[in-house]
Amino acid sequence: MNSKPKKRSYIILIILLVFLVGPILWMFVTSFKDNIAIYKIPPEWLPHKPTLSNYINIFKDKLFMTYYMNNFITAFLTTFLTIIISILAGYSFSRFKFRGSQILLMAFLSVSIFPVVGIITALYSTFKNVGLLNTRAAVILTLTAANVPFCMWLMKGFFDDIPRALEEAAYIDGCGRLSTLIKVILPLCSPGILAIGLYTFLIAWDDYLYCLTLITDDKIRTLSNGISMRYLGELSYDWGNVMTVSVMASIPLLILFIFLQKYMIQGLTAGSVKG
Amino acid sequence: MKEASIAKHKYAPKLYKKMGREKHDRIFAVLLLLPALIIVGFTTFFPIAKSVIMSFFNYKLKANADYYWNDFLNYKELFQEGEIFSAIGTTFKFMTVTVILIFIIGLILSNILNKDVKGRAVLRSVVLLPWIIPTIVTGLLWMWIFQPQYGVLNYILMKLNIIADPINWVASMKFALYSVVTASVWRQIPFITIMLLAGMQGIPNDLYEAATIDGANSRQCFFKVTLPMLSNVIKSTLLISIITNFKQFPLFWIMTGGGPVNKTTTLAIMTYKNSFVNLNFGKGAAVSTIWLVILIVFSIVYNKVFKTARD
Repeated sequence: MNSKPKKRSYIILIILLVFLVGPILWMFVTSFKDNIAIYKIPPEWLPHKPTLSNYINIFKDKLFMTYYMNNFITAFLTTFLTIIISILAGYSFSRFKFRGSQILLMAFLSVSIFPVVGIITALYSTFKNVGLLNTRAAVILTLTAANVPFCMWLMKGFFDDIPRALEEAAYIDGCGRLSTLIKVILPLCSPGILAIGLYTFLIAWDDYLYCLTLITDDKIRTLSNGISMRYLGELSYDWGNVMTVSVMASIPLLILFIFLQKYMIQGLTAGSVKG
Repeated sequence: MKEASIAKHKYAPKLYKKMGREKHDRIFAVLLLLPALIIVGFTTFFPIAKSVIMSFFNYKLKANADYYWNDFLNYKELFQEGEIFSAIGTTFKFMTVTVILIFIIGLILSNILNKDVKGRAVLRSVVLLPWIIPTIVTGLLWMWIFQPQYGVLNYILMKLNIIADPINWVASMKFALYSVVTASVWRQIPFITIMLLAGMQGIPNDLYEAATIDGANSRQCFFKVTLPMLSNVIKSTLLISIITNFKQFPLFWIMTGGGPVNKTTTLAIMTYKNSFVNLNFGKGAAVSTIWLVILIVFSIVYNKVFKTARD
């Protein structure tokens, strides 16, 4: 509906914009203030003397940089693994209908809605038994498993849109099943792959609970957890520091969002709006 | 390289001939599914089953604690202490308030952005920003805004004479839950807005034109055309957001830790506390099992309600 909005719409829009964007701007502003400016009443809406000291402190903090790198490693590996597994499974569900495949797909999707906190107790004791506790693999495996059901379902949707005639043609040309998938089908659904990759990266980057329970070693601890362990004091927080690490934690996603927004939204809306 | 790939090509049809294409396809289909089955089986299917079993056993993570059947003691304790009832109540309260708020705000926002607003393209991106802010950062951000002495919220409210004294939002019996609701709503509005907006763009313009010719004003257009056309999108997004908020953990853990005095202890917090703070795995698993039952009952009811609504 392309009707002209009323004045009232603009007022509501401005209020909502302040609510949605204000806190993010406030995070940035706070990160550029020194401790005296942060605890001033009335607050300085723009820092009078902007300073980079918070950022310098963070970059000097070896442990923070370790957490940061760990977050990248975990998120990338999770994304990589999820993409491969989802492509394979999604393709299978799209092309080969066997008895019970519909039920299996539903089973995948319904366990994926089950709360992680609900299974973390059993997961912890399982990982303890097989010796995976306190390893990077533990977090990567669990994060991958959490993302695979939704991502393979999305990929199935993308594969469904590709005509089967292509595969027949490839078969006649003497192409095996796997090479058909890799050489003929995959290039056609690269937007889908990008979409599930971004979606998984977003979730893996955000992980808090898996790392909290499965990892106790500082060398492999990831960001969300590292922040809460290292920068949140018992009673008072150093808010300049906390807001600076918050900015640092958000920046990679902000950059992705600026350049690849279209695909991120596509991944999100493709499944639900269609279904 | 080239020779190898040619050899592969020749090999594949040969295999087809040997086994028959259909049989080969069936094996191929199963092989494709195998990685997904193994990984999801190991870290999801199996733990769910294990969790249910564990809930009937004495299982404590302490030295010389045994693993034995304890005659429903975990459940008896939970129901006698009664904390589980308030946890269920808090979980539902949090979920309901959050979901209602995000849907109202999301509908208003997407409806405005679907109109011919100035700078629409930029606004549509800007509005999405909270969606990419990590959950833990969301919690910290709002704690800083809610901070009692130096927080912006208290300053603004006092300036506007709405409150006389600063309020310790996150630690107050009255407001703690709603502080978490605020952070949760803030982060989820973008998701709802994208979904609803995508749905709205799929509604053909003729419908609005027809309605306008019939004399419908914009309010009637919204309630009689937009909303009914969105019912499918609303159904799926509603389910997703109900579940998301039902299992919210990090925001509570960071912002309130379940306090003050268990006022914001949800099922998620309770599970975690029993298992990883008190190290009583059996009891933690019992809370999860109760949770599983609630979810199953809920999804059956949800599907029934929406099926009858469509008929």
